[in-house]
Amino acid sequence: MSKRLGWLLAAGGGLGTASAAALTIEKFHVLANPGYVPSCSINPIVSCGSVMTSAQAEVFGFPNPVIGLAAFPVVLTLGVLLIAKVPLPRWVMLGLNAGAALGVLFVHWLIFQSLYRIGALCPYCMVVWVVTITMFWYLTLHNFRLPVLRKYHSAVLTVWFLVIIGLIGEAFWDYWRTLLL
Amino acid sequence: MAKAKPANWQKSGMSTNLKLTIGVVVVAVAMVAAVILTTRGSGQAGPEALVRPESHRLSTAADGKVTVVEFLDFECEACGAAYPGVEKLRKEYNGKITYVVRLFPLPGHRNGEPAARAAQAAANQGKFEAMYTKLFDNQKTWGEQRVDQSPVFQKYAAEIGLDMSRFQADFASQAVIDRVAAEVKDGMALDLTGTPTFFVNGKKHDGDYTYESLKKAVDAELAK
Repeated sequence: MSKRLGWLLAAGGGLGTASAAALTIEKFHVLANPGYVPSCSINPIVSCGSVMTSAQAEVFGFPNPVIGLAAFPVVLTLGVLLIAKVPLPRWVMLGLNAGAALGVLFVHWLIFQSLYRIGALCPYCMVVWVVTITMFWYLTLHNFRLPVLRKYHSAVLTVWFLVIIGLIGEAFWDYWRTLLL
Repeated sequence: MAKAKPANWQKSGMSTNLKLTIGVVVVAVAMVAAVILTTRGSGQAGPEALVRPESHRLSTAADGKVTVVEFLDFECEACGAAYPGVEKLRKEYNGKITYVVRLFPLPGHRNGEPAARAAQAAANQGKFEAMYTKLFDNQKTWGEQRVDQSPVFQKYAAEIGLDMSRFQADFASQAVIDRVAAEVKDGMALDLTGTPTFFVNGKKHDGDYTYESLKKAVDAELAK
């Protein structure tokens, strides 16, 4: 079971690192050349250019993906240790859980900003949303006795994501509608 | 760590959990499908939805034989690409065809609707065509941006010599908002799938948006 969590953390940490790296590199390009269009700016809605250049993209005075570049590799490393069956003390697991909890809070604030303040979606950022929520969820189930939630672990997580997908659908409904009609 | 309690929770509830998970996804998909189906345009629009008495006419044919209607979004790139061809056609057939422009700003464009309001506000002072030209000539300056471009539209209004206090009042007025919404409603009723959409004598133009293709359709109608 720890091994499974290890794989999840390794994969999530890896994907998170890759997304944070992509966003950081795109940020360098945008800074170097203001006319640069990021690779992930596909249409008016799916546009990391709009998201990356917003004030919310630098909440702490530096680009947010730098946090991911520092944090996700740690998650990846701890995941690899779990796969290798290295016994990790409970306080380390709780520390990781606490970090993931902060990550989840931050991610939801960013989702709100993305949908209702900036009005655009950034694919790399959305990868970070997904891995952060998933890793937080399974870390919490692992560290705490939550029998009911454990029993319906993927159903609860699916509802969680469906709510977010629903909010995305609602926020950009007018735009999706023009694509569907 | 949960080592003390070797619960194989991932396995114990798997079937119920999996069923529930799949069930939740199915319900969500069904809900989305229902919403899409119920909000689809009726396609039952009559010919009056195509051209209203108050619709913007760039030119009017003396004999009223051929009418070209274009539903456009000033921010849509394809409309901007079609624009030079349309202008060429309009010049060539000036007085021979009625050219009607309908406003159909797509919600995906941040400044499509404000641009339509700017055009409507200009129309209120009899300068629709000047604003139409201004917006398309400068589409690359203000288009495809997620920030408000109203100051740019005000600059254009000043440049084409509008009464600025009246323009500003109209641009923000409920009457102009409603007018643009009414134009969009007509487009939706006609089941438009995008912009630009051309109608030549009420028939939807299926060809390209090029000068040649439109000219062909117009000539065919003129020859009738």
